[in-house]
Amino acid sequence: MSLYPNYYGQPSYANPPLPPAHNGFHHPYQQQQYQSIPPLPSTQSLPVYHVDPVTFRRDYASRLAELTVNSRPIIQNLSYIAQEYTRFANIVAECIEAHIRRVPPWMKLPAFYLLDAISKNLYDPYARHFSAFVTPLFLDTYQVVDLSTRSKMEEMLLTWRTASPTGKELFGVPPQVSIERGVWDTTGNTNSNLPPGSTITTPQVLRELEFTLSQKERALQNNPYDGVAQKHITVLHQLRNLVETGVSQDQLHLILSQLRTLLRNTPPQVAPPQPVIPQPAVWPPSYAPVASQAPAAPYPPPPVNAIPPSNPAPSSSAPSNIASLLSTLVKAGIVSANAPTPPPPTDEKVASPEHSEQKRIKSYRQAVLAIPVKLNSNDITRQRPPIVDLLYDRLTVQCKQCGIRFVDNDEGKKSMNNHLDMHFRQNRKANQNVGRGHSRSLFVAVEDWVHETIDIKGKGRADGTRPVNAKVAAAAEAAKREAELRALSVVVPLGEEAEMKACPICKEVLQSEFLEDVEDWVWRNAIMKDDKVYHATCHAEAVTSTSNLAARLRNEARGSRSRSGTPESRVTPPPTRVRPTDVKAPSLSPSQEAKTTGTKRKVDPDDLPLGHEHGGTPPLKKLALSPSA
Amino acid sequence: MSTENPENTAESAPSKEWTLEPETEYRFELDPGSSLAIKLVRGHAEIFGAELVEGKTYLFGSECKAAVFTWQGCTLEVTGHPSTEYVSEETPMTAYANLHIAFEQMRVRALRDVRGSPPPTDEPAASQDPPRILVLGPENSGKTTVCKILVNYAVRAGQGWSPLLVNVDPGQGGWAAPGAISAASVFAPIPTYSPASPLGSVATSAPTALASNALVPLVFWYGHAETKKNPLLMDRLIRNLGGHIDDRYLNDQEAKPSGLVVDTPPSFASGPTTDVHRQRLIKACVEAFNINVILVVGHEKLNVEMQRTYGARITVVKIPKSGGVVELEHHYRERIRNNQFYSYMYGHIIKPPAGITNATLGGETLDDFILSPSSTVISFSDLTIYRVGAGAMAPSSALPIGAQRVVSEMQPVIIDPSQPGSGLLNSVLGLLAPPNPDENERYDEELLDLTIQGFIVITNLDISKKRMTVLAPNQVSLVGKTAIVGTYEWQEQ
Repeated sequence: MSLYPNYYGQPSYANPPLPPAHNGFHHPYQQQQYQSIPPLPSTQSLPVYHVDPVTFRRDYASRLAELTVNSRPIIQNLSYIAQEYTRFANIVAECIEAHIRRVPPWMKLPAFYLLDAISKNLYDPYARHFSAFVTPLFLDTYQVVDLSTRSKMEEMLLTWRTASPTGKELFGVPPQVSIERGVWDTTGNTNSNLPPGSTITTPQVLRELEFTLSQKERALQNNPYDGVAQKHITVLHQLRNLVETGVSQDQLHLILSQLRTLLRNTPPQVAPPQPVIPQPAVWPPSYAPVASQAPAAPYPPPPVNAIPPSNPAPSSSAPSNIASLLSTLVKAGIVSANAPTPPPPTDEKVASPEHSEQKRIKSYRQAVLAIPVKLNSNDITRQRPPIVDLLYDRLTVQCKQCGIRFVDNDEGKKSMNNHLDMHFRQNRKANQNVGRGHSRSLFVAVEDWVHETIDIKGKGRADGTRPVNAKVAAAAEAAKREAELRALSVVVPLGEEAEMKACPICKEVLQSEFLEDVEDWVWRNAIMKDDKVYHATCHAEAVTSTSNLAARLRNEARGSRSRSGTPESRVTPPPTRVRPTDVKAPSLSPSQEAKTTGTKRKVDPDDLPLGHEHGGTPPLKKLALSPSA
Repeated sequence: MSTENPENTAESAPSKEWTLEPETEYRFELDPGSSLAIKLVRGHAEIFGAELVEGKTYLFGSECKAAVFTWQGCTLEVTGHPSTEYVSEETPMTAYANLHIAFEQMRVRALRDVRGSPPPTDEPAASQDPPRILVLGPENSGKTTVCKILVNYAVRAGQGWSPLLVNVDPGQGGWAAPGAISAASVFAPIPTYSPASPLGSVATSAPTALASNALVPLVFWYGHAETKKNPLLMDRLIRNLGGHIDDRYLNDQEAKPSGLVVDTPPSFASGPTTDVHRQRLIKACVEAFNINVILVVGHEKLNVEMQRTYGARITVVKIPKSGGVVELEHHYRERIRNNQFYSYMYGHIIKPPAGITNATLGGETLDDFILSPSSTVISFSDLTIYRVGAGAMAPSSALPIGAQRVVSEMQPVIIDPSQPGSGLLNSVLGLLAPPNPDENERYDEELLDLTIQGFIVITNLDISKKRMTVLAPNQVSLVGKTAIVGTYEWQEQ
């Protein structure tokens, strides 16, 4: 029995065999959907790629059928196709809906990720198509899936709040509200003005935390120089640890409302493209591409990605992309199979890739060093090189676009995914750029070239095995800090040696020991504040937590708000020193030599009034937040 | 070996299928104006170390002469009219692959050293130096190709290597334009599609699929085709480049194990042993780039000479030359240079053979290679133009004994465009990066040590109005800038 009515005289879906109806998925809704298909567009009107809707539907559905596990390549591939064939958006939407309704519960989530990715990345017209059925689809699915899948769906739902290109609800307010109501069965949750009486659960806060964190991480990923985002992330990480260890209801309240304030203020600071398009001719090269491209883009970058339009690296300036989205989901613990609880602490996550990288390096080293080749004319002409093993057999996964190969393991897949993201961004950018001229970029200045590595790594390394690892650095920093704290000691006051003193924070007894250097008894890892002795580590944690955290969040939220309110202060009218009338062949997107260099180029100070604003971040995307740390 | 495709229709170009045995290569040469499309139908194949993707159509043009090599055997579909095409079973690829492995050994040791892990005790003592390779060879020996293969294999190793590729051959521009001395870090395989971009392409505003079509080089402007024109300047630029590379390594220790490969001009390899300048320039390279391996491509005498001079501290290896290397006539090189300037400004415009619709050029869609330069009329006073040393100058050694040169070879001389005979019309100029903003840090010959931002060409001089028309790669402001003129000229054909 096929659930798919065979309308177009085509053979029924070949693979996979359709499962029997289960769990009430045989929904009449589906049938109605199919019957309401508008007349097919005539195939003659289709451009070069001669695909008729019937074939397309069959093809898309059969590809969709392969989406049985959460596989990013498949999701990406399906998104590509959706991007290519927006004229078949209705078919794509129908296929996805039918698929989700058809497959068993454990297979539904990946398809939802696909729906999510397509809506966020391509938005129009897909979000429109999806919004027609997303509410019942989501809620029906939510009813039948297990707990961990539910939490992942909730997570995804949260991202929909601000995922439209304008920072609004991805599928519009009504679907968002009704889904949230269906999921949480409370109106309080959808409203950022928390009713004072409502109880907030720790998991809920954690979920929102993760969401905010993911947004920030994505922002940082796209703009490694964004110090503010970096700071936010550190703060959020601390906050998460704090919440995990348990905090009072009031604190939860405080945190949640701060989080929402922070989140609400994120989109405006990045969304509006500069209203004034300056004469490209006179723009200092580093800024020109940005200024001239952002406003003309078909639609503004979805703020969910929090990419400032001023990003100087074209590769990363492409807005929201599936990969970063998914990687965030991975980071947020959504993708790991059975994790209803929050993901493990950061340092563990950091440790494992590091470890596997070490192993990979070592095994490659052993393999290469075992080859008996010596660097002399005789050896190199007589030996049989096992080159096929090194360049082909060890690297079995190949990018179908450029031929670069990757190892077939987790790490290789990760690199491959990063690599595909890069292609995706570039392709997307190319599509947006149609009809606009390109031009050769200027060569970089010495300073930028000398420091080039950082940016390039994010961009298009062959394998991306050495990403900018802010986390590792942060972890190392934290470890160092902790060691320093543990080294602190307080001399035990005379006569109190025998007393058991406990740290007021963790209630554990302070360990005393005799220190040779000072010839006295001391409490290790201790600090004296207001006549009380605390564990130095506990105290430091306390200081940077609750009150302080909230204050910082508040500050930063305010900071970004005030900045976003005055975007024009960042736009400096370009000096008009080149006579524009003399420009014969103006290319619309002038130089972009900043493409791969994050540091600003040295430019004539007259050309560039912002010239003094040096540092890693180009001014346009620099938020005017005073460093609060 | 090859079979005509019977499905050819009248309007499409003929297409042929070639089946290659393992370790053979399909070589082709193109006439001016013709193009060729190659599709890998089955198997694995690579062009100078850059792997082809099965099913993708690659386009070649601008008199490209290249070879598709296969380690495992493959089937190619070739569309177009190459002037020459054949399959060769004798390639030096085995030797080049062994070289690559030897360099990989150096790289993994160097990385281990950088990461601070000690070598295992049972391993024989070996240098912890990454490979820093100088490739020498006479004209038409395939130096650039060797460099490309070595770099491509390194980036394909899956180890995250990003070797620096250094081009000190001012006769061919590599990724930039002729007359430049430059270095770029390579992250992804360098495609081959046109002799105008033998080493990939400098970044444009277009998005690129391949990192090697958006290279970010550091560029100095020498300005002449021949190294003997101003060897002192060459020497200085080489050492400047070396200094900046050192700085870069200081900044990123992890980049160091990838090593570097230096492509050199043929003049380094030919000429009498007594040629002081040649010796000096090789020495400058060895010192500036801290060379520890010299590869001599198919030149016995040079090999012996290098062994004698550097053999004690540097590994000198003679490597075989590919039989596919084509003797290039002078006019061909001229055309390629012109084409390089053209493609620097306008990108590549290559018409695919009839019937080919979905070809990629070096892995990119064709449109992304079409660039719009900017032509601007500026006042003479807007741009300061220098020439380094006097115009046509005999080398110091040719002067009468005891005679002193009035203008030293290294002295920047200001050129007044309003003077007839300034020689500026159609000249290619290197547009200098801004000098040090701190007045106190300035010095007389600073101009010689500045990198360039790009190349510009003076396309018209209006002496009566004191204005000139300048073609620039993009809408960079030329006002207040300084440029240096060399001996390269370029005219749009």
